[in-house]
Amino acid sequence: MKKLLLLFLFLLNVLSFSTMAQNRTITGRVTSAADGSALPGVSVVVKGTTIGASTDVEGRYQISVTGSPTLVFTFIGFTPREEAVGTRSTVDVRLAVDTKTIEEVVVVGYGSQEKREVTGSIASIKAEDIQNTPTPSFENALQGRTAGVLVEQQNGKVGQGIKVRVRGSSSVSAGNEPLYVLDGVPLTTSVPNANGAPTNPLADLNPNDIASIEVLKDAAAAAIYGSRAANGVVLITTKRGNSGDTKINVSYFTGFSKPTRKREFLNSAEYVELFREAAANSEERYGSDYGPAFLETRLRRYAAGATDPLTYDTDWQDEVFQDASVNQMDVSVAGGTEKTRFFTGLSYSNQEGILIENRFEKMSGRLNLDHQATERLSVGMNFSLTRTKNYRLSNDNAFSTPMQIVALPPITPAIDPRTKLVSGVLDPATGRPNTNYPLYYNPLLNAIDADFLTTVYRNFTNVYASYKIFNGLTFRSEFGLDLLNQNENAYYGRLTARNTGTPNGTGISAISQIANYNTNNFFNYNTNIADVHSIDVVLGMSYQESNQTTNYVEGQQFPSNAYRTIASAADITEGSSSGTDYSFLSYFTRVNYKFRDRYLLGLSGRVDGSSRFGNDSKYGFFPAASLGWILSEESFLANSNLINYLKLRGSYGITGNAEIPNAASLGLYSGDAGYGGTPGQRPTQIENPDLKWEETAQLDFGLEYGFWNGRLSGEIDYYIKKTDDLLLNVNVPGTSGYRTQLKNVGKLENKGFEFSLNSDNLVGDFKWSTNFNYSRNRNKITDLQGQIIEGGYLNRAVEGQPIGVFFGVEYAGVDPANGDAIYYLNTLNPDGSRNRETTSDYSSAERVVIGNPNPDYTLGLTNNFSFKGFDLSVLFQGVVGNEIYNGAGSYMSASASWFDNQTRDQLRRWQKPNDITDVPRAYLGYANGTDPSSRYISDGSYVRLKNLTVGYTLPTSFTQKFHLDKVRIYAIGLNLLTFTDYEGWDPEVNTDYLAGNISQGNDFYGAPQAKTFTFGINIGF
Amino acid sequence: MKRKNIKAYVVILGFASLLFSCNDQLDIDPQQSVETGQALATSSDVEAALVGAYDAAGDADVYGGDIQFLSDLLANNGDIAFVGTFAQPGQVYDKVILENNSFIANTWLDSYRVINIANSVLANISKVDEAKKARVEGEAKFLRGSIYFELIKLYGKAWVDGNPATNPGVPLVLEPTNIINEASFVSRNSVAEIYAQILKDLTEAEALLPPTNGFFATKGAAAGMLSRVFLQQEKFLDAGDAADRVIKSGRYRLTDTYAQAFNNTGNSSEDIFAIQVTSQDGINELNTYYSQLQRGDVEIQDKLINQYEAGDERLGIYEDEYTNKFDEQFAVVPVLRLAEMYLTRAEASLRTGTNIGGVSAVADINTIRERAGLEPVTTVTLPQVLQERKLELIFEGQLLHDIKRTKGAVGTFPYNANNLVFPVPQRERDANPNLTQNPGYLGG
Repeated sequence: MKKLLLLFLFLLNVLSFSTMAQNRTITGRVTSAADGSALPGVSVVVKGTTIGASTDVEGRYQISVTGSPTLVFTFIGFTPREEAVGTRSTVDVRLAVDTKTIEEVVVVGYGSQEKREVTGSIASIKAEDIQNTPTPSFENALQGRTAGVLVEQQNGKVGQGIKVRVRGSSSVSAGNEPLYVLDGVPLTTSVPNANGAPTNPLADLNPNDIASIEVLKDAAAAAIYGSRAANGVVLITTKRGNSGDTKINVSYFTGFSKPTRKREFLNSAEYVELFREAAANSEERYGSDYGPAFLETRLRRYAAGATDPLTYDTDWQDEVFQDASVNQMDVSVAGGTEKTRFFTGLSYSNQEGILIENRFEKMSGRLNLDHQATERLSVGMNFSLTRTKNYRLSNDNAFSTPMQIVALPPITPAIDPRTKLVSGVLDPATGRPNTNYPLYYNPLLNAIDADFLTTVYRNFTNVYASYKIFNGLTFRSEFGLDLLNQNENAYYGRLTARNTGTPNGTGISAISQIANYNTNNFFNYNTNIADVHSIDVVLGMSYQESNQTTNYVEGQQFPSNAYRTIASAADITEGSSSGTDYSFLSYFTRVNYKFRDRYLLGLSGRVDGSSRFGNDSKYGFFPAASLGWILSEESFLANSNLINYLKLRGSYGITGNAEIPNAASLGLYSGDAGYGGTPGQRPTQIENPDLKWEETAQLDFGLEYGFWNGRLSGEIDYYIKKTDDLLLNVNVPGTSGYRTQLKNVGKLENKGFEFSLNSDNLVGDFKWSTNFNYSRNRNKITDLQGQIIEGGYLNRAVEGQPIGVFFGVEYAGVDPANGDAIYYLNTLNPDGSRNRETTSDYSSAERVVIGNPNPDYTLGLTNNFSFKGFDLSVLFQGVVGNEIYNGAGSYMSASASWFDNQTRDQLRRWQKPNDITDVPRAYLGYANGTDPSSRYISDGSYVRLKNLTVGYTLPTSFTQKFHLDKVRIYAIGLNLLTFTDYEGWDPEVNTDYLAGNISQGNDFYGAPQAKTFTFGINIGF
Repeated sequence: MKRKNIKAYVVILGFASLLFSCNDQLDIDPQQSVETGQALATSSDVEAALVGAYDAAGDADVYGGDIQFLSDLLANNGDIAFVGTFAQPGQVYDKVILENNSFIANTWLDSYRVINIANSVLANISKVDEAKKARVEGEAKFLRGSIYFELIKLYGKAWVDGNPATNPGVPLVLEPTNIINEASFVSRNSVAEIYAQILKDLTEAEALLPPTNGFFATKGAAAGMLSRVFLQQEKFLDAGDAADRVIKSGRYRLTDTYAQAFNNTGNSSEDIFAIQVTSQDGINELNTYYSQLQRGDVEIQDKLINQYEAGDERLGIYEDEYTNKFDEQFAVVPVLRLAEMYLTRAEASLRTGTNIGGVSAVADINTIRERAGLEPVTTVTLPQVLQERKLELIFEGQLLHDIKRTKGAVGTFPYNANNLVFPVPQRERDANPNLTQNPGYLGG
C-alpha cells in the first residue's frame, strides 16, 4: 500500500514536472451559450497570472501557457467561467449570459439607453415572450406581461380588432390606441372595411421578426413623439444579424383551438315546456293573440312540420364551432461578417378560427441588412412583405354571424328532413330558400353560400445611413414606407336571400390603399467629461405623410353562383371612390445628462405640425423633463448587501393626441347636394382655425429596486394624467347655418398605480423565477361642457364618471306577488338621496349609473421553471372589477318573450305567487323585464391561465452529433383555464360592430376566445 | 473628395434637413370636399351652391314636409287625429310643445342652413356669368325670402298680433358664415324687420326671375309667395295683384281634376313651385306621415269629412281613415299651386270690394268649385272663401297662418295664443344666450 502511494506521488510529480517544463499554445473559440454566436473581446487569463489574451471577431483566441493551468474567461454581461485546460490544446468555451450584471439596453425614441439610466417609465417585452404564440398578432402576447398596458381582443374571430390602452383612455372622441412605431416608422393602424367590424392591421407583422417591444408610458419617455404620444407609444424593433457564424433557425408548430367556453341553452324538452307556459300565461293575461293555439302552429313550423315538437333536439352551438387547426412554419437565417450583417426570415401560418369558415392565413418574408461601408459610414435596410388572407365572418350584429345561430330553437333540426338539406336552404313550395323557417335566417347558409375574403399586401421598408462625423457625433437619416394594400371581396349567394333581401346574389368589392411615408433625420452626440459628466443629445426632424384611397362597388343580380365578381352583376347598386390624406412635420430634441453615475436629468421636446391642425394652431410644442437619482450608487448604500439597486425617478411633460379626423379644422363644401338630378354643392363644415391636438399633462413618480444582488427587483410607478382640450362637437348658433363645430374643450383624467416584481426564487440547476405585475387606473371625465355622449347600448361619457359607464334603469328583480319585472324608481329625493321604491313601470324608473366597463385593476403572474433541459412557464392574467352588458340579453334571457332559444337560467322563472326569483314570469309575445336594464349587466372580472409552455431542449452533446446547435421541443396551451363569474361565453369581449371609445364592455353574441394547444419544435443550425 | 469635405457635407446636409420646412406639405386638401375659400370660385361653383340651397330647402325639416305638417298639426281642431309614436309631432298636435322638441329645433336649424347657402350665393353673385346673374340672384332671394317668411310665421307672433315693430321675430342674418365669432351670436330682430326683408327679397326676386325656369323658382313663384306675405299683412290689394300676376302669366293651368294635382313625380301644370323628390335624393315627408303606405300617423276624422259638400270630388283624397294626397313616395311636394292664387284673388276682391284683374270673387271661387265637380255659386261670403281655401289647400301648410291672419281660433285657443307659436329651440338658446324665448315657454 505504501509502495503504491509512493509510486503515485512519483508519477504525479513526473507528470506535473513534465507539463510545467513545457510551453505550449492553447487555441479555442468563445461563443455565447444562448445562441452560439461568436463573442469577440472576451478576456482570457491564465488563473493566478497576468498572462492573458482576448478573442477576435470570430471569438477565437490563442494563449501561450505552461503546464495545465486553469483559464478564466470573462466578458461583460456574461457569467465568468473557469476551465481547467488539462492536456487539451483546444479549449472551446460557451459563456452564459449573466442576466443580472448585463446592463439591459432599452429602445427609446430615436435611440437606445441603458435601462438604469432611463428616467422615464418604459416597459420592455423581449422576443422570447412573443415568439411562436399561436395568435395572429403580437399584442396578445403583451397581455398580462406588462404593467399599465391593457389588451383586450374583441372576440374569438381571428384577425379581428383589438383594444390596447396604455394607462387608461385619454380621449372621448379622438383615438385611444397607442402610437405604434416599427423600426422608426409610425404605422398605419386602421384601414377602411366593408364588414362593419374592424380588422387589426398590426397582424400583418410577423411576431417572430420582433426582437423587442418597448411601451413608452410616461411623458419623459413618450414626449419625443409629441402630438401622438398621449396614449403611449409602442416601439417595435425587429431582429438584426450578428457577425459570426450564420445561424439558421427553423421552427414549426401545429395545434388546434376550441372555444374557451360554451353557453348553456335550453334543450327541446325545456324549450317546449317553457314556451307552453309562456303562451298559457299570455292568453290568461292578454288574450289569445299569443296563446297556446298560436304557439303550437309555430312550434310545428319550427320543428320542420313535425307534430311532436320534441322530435328534434339540436344544440346549435355545435353546428358553428369547429376544432380549428393552427400551423406555422418559420425559418430565419441570421449572421454576417464584421462589415455586413443580416437577418432574414420567412414565415407561413394558417390559423383557423373556432367558428366555421373563419381563417387567417399569413405569409411573410423579411430581410434586415446592416453594412459598415467605411469606418464612419454605415448603411442598412429593413424590408418585409406580408400577404394576409382573412376569411371573415359577418359582424356580431348580423343574423348571418355564426354565433347568432344560438337564437334558433332547439326543436328545429339542423337538416330539414323534408328536403334532406340544411334547414333554410329550400322551401319545396317555392323552390327557393325558406323565408320563415327556421325562426331566423340560418347562419349556416352563409357558411355554405357566402364568403368574405380580405386580402392584404403589406410592405414595411426602411433604409438608413448613419455617419460618424467625429467621435461621439453621428448623423442618421432614415426613410421608411408602410404600404398597405387591401382587397375585400364578398359574395352572398342565392341561399342568403332571406338575409340580404336580394334573390340572385350580392357582391361587394372594395380596394383600399394606404401609403404611409416617413423620414427621420437626426444628430446624436454623446460625450463624457472627466468621467463625471455624461451627456447624450439627440436633435432632429421627421416628416410623415399618409395617402389613403378607397374604391367600393356593390352589385346584385348574378346569373348563378358560379359568377362571383361584380362583372357579372346585372345591377350595380353602389359605387364610390374616395381618399384622405394627412401629414406631420416635426422637430425633436432630447438631452440626457448624468452626473457621477447617479444623478440623472432628462429633457426632451418636440414641435409637431400637422395638416390636421387648424391654421392658427399649426404647430404644437411638447416638452418633458425628468429627474433620476440612483441611490444605490451613493456611499451609504454602496456596500449594502441587501440593496444593490435603487433608483428614484420623476417626470412631467406634455403629450398630445392628434388622432383627430383629417381636415376637421377646415371650412368645407361637399358635392353631395344635387337636387332633382341637377348637381349641387353645400357647405358641410365650419372652419375652426384653432383646432388642434388633445393635450395630456402627465406626472409620474417611479421607484426601481433590486435586492439581494438583483434576485428581487422591480418597479413601482404612480402617475396622474390630465387631458385637456378634448375634442368635442360643440353646438354653435344654428343661425350660422351650421349645427356644431369640432372644438377643443373637454377635460378628463387618469390616475394610476403600477407595480412589478421579478424574483429569482431558486437559482442553480433548478431555476424558478416569478414575475408579477399589477396596475390600476382610475378614469374620470371632468368636463364635457355639460354634454352627455352616448354609445353602445347603455354606455355614456358623462362628467364626473369614467368613460363608458353603463347608464340605465336599475333592475330590482321580480315581484313575488305576480311575477312582473320591477325596477328601482331611483328618482331624486329632496335630500339628494335616491328613492329606492320599486315600480313595474319601466318608463317611470329613473336612469342612473349601473355599471362600469373599466376594470379596477389588471394583473399578471408568470412563473418560469427550468431544470436541465426542461423549461416550464405559466402565465396567469387577470382583469378585475369591470362589468359587461349583454346586449343580446333582451332576446336570449327574456322569459320566452319571443321564440329565440333561451339561456338555461330562464328556467328559474316566476311561476306562482311567493316564488322568489330574478327571472320574471314568462309571457309569449309580451315583454316582461326585457328592456335594457342592469338585469343584463354582470361582473366581467376574470383570471385566466393565459399561457402554459412546457419545453425540452435536447442536450448539446446529443444534438451536436447531428451538427445542430440547439433543438427544443415544446407545447403551448393558450387560455387553458378561465376563472370568472361572467355568465356569457367569455369575459374578454367587446362586440365588434359597436366597439369604440365609449362603447366598451358590451357582449352581443360575441364569439368566445380560442383555447389553443400547440406542439412545436425549434431547431438551430 | 477629401475626407474632411465629406464630414462638412454631412454636417451641412444634416442641418439643412433640420431646417427643412415644408409648410406646404401640411396644407393637405380633403378629397371629397372643397375648402370653403375655393368652393365658390367660378360662376358654375356659385350656381352649384344655388342648387345646394334648393336641396337644403327640400330637406324633410323644411319644405320637404315638416313646415307644412307641423303647422297643420298645430292648426288642427278635431279634423284629424295624430296617432303616431313620435313624441315631437305629438306635442305639436297637443299644442303643448316643449322647448327641447327636436322637430322644432331641426326646422329652425335646417331653415337657417338654406338661408346661409343663399347668403353665400348672394355674397358671391359677382362671380356669376352676366347672362345668368339676374336669375341666380333672383332664385337665391326667392329662397331666402321664402324661408324667412316660414320662420317668422312659425317662431314669431303673427303680423296682425300686437305691434310687429316691437314683437320679437327671428334673427336676421344676411351674410354667409365663414367663421364662428362674436357676430355669430345674433339677437332676434323684430317681426317688422323680418317682413321688410322678406318683401325686399321677394319683390327683387320677382323682378329678377325669368317666367320659366324648369322646376326652379320663377317670376310666378316669387309673385305667389308675395301674395301670401301681403295676405299676412292684410294688404289685400297687393295680395290680389300678386296673385293676378301669376294667373295672368299664363304659365300655369289647373289640372283637370283635383287628384291630378298631387302624387306627380314632376311638377304638374298648376305647380308654381314644388320640391323635387327622386329615388336618388330628397324625402317627401308628407308621404312619410300621411300615407297609409308609410307611417300612417294621421287619421282623418268625420268632422273634416263633414265639412265637404256632397259630390265634392276632393273627397277622393280620403281613403279608409287616411288621406292619399301624398301616397306617391317620389312625388314632388307642392309649395305653391295655382288654385291658391284664384282663392287669394277672390278673397282680395271680396275684401277690397273690387274685381282684381277684372275677375269677380264669385268667378274665381267657381273656378275652384267647378274643378272640384261642384255647382257654381252666385254669391260668396268671406267665410265661404276661407272655408273653400281650407279644403282646397288642406294638409299643405296654410291653415294655421290663415287662422292667425284672420284672427280666428283653434278650438279654444285664440289666434294669438302663446302655444300657437313655436318656442325658440332650447338647443339654440343654449348655444346662443342672446336669444329670448317666446312668451308662454320656459324662460319666455
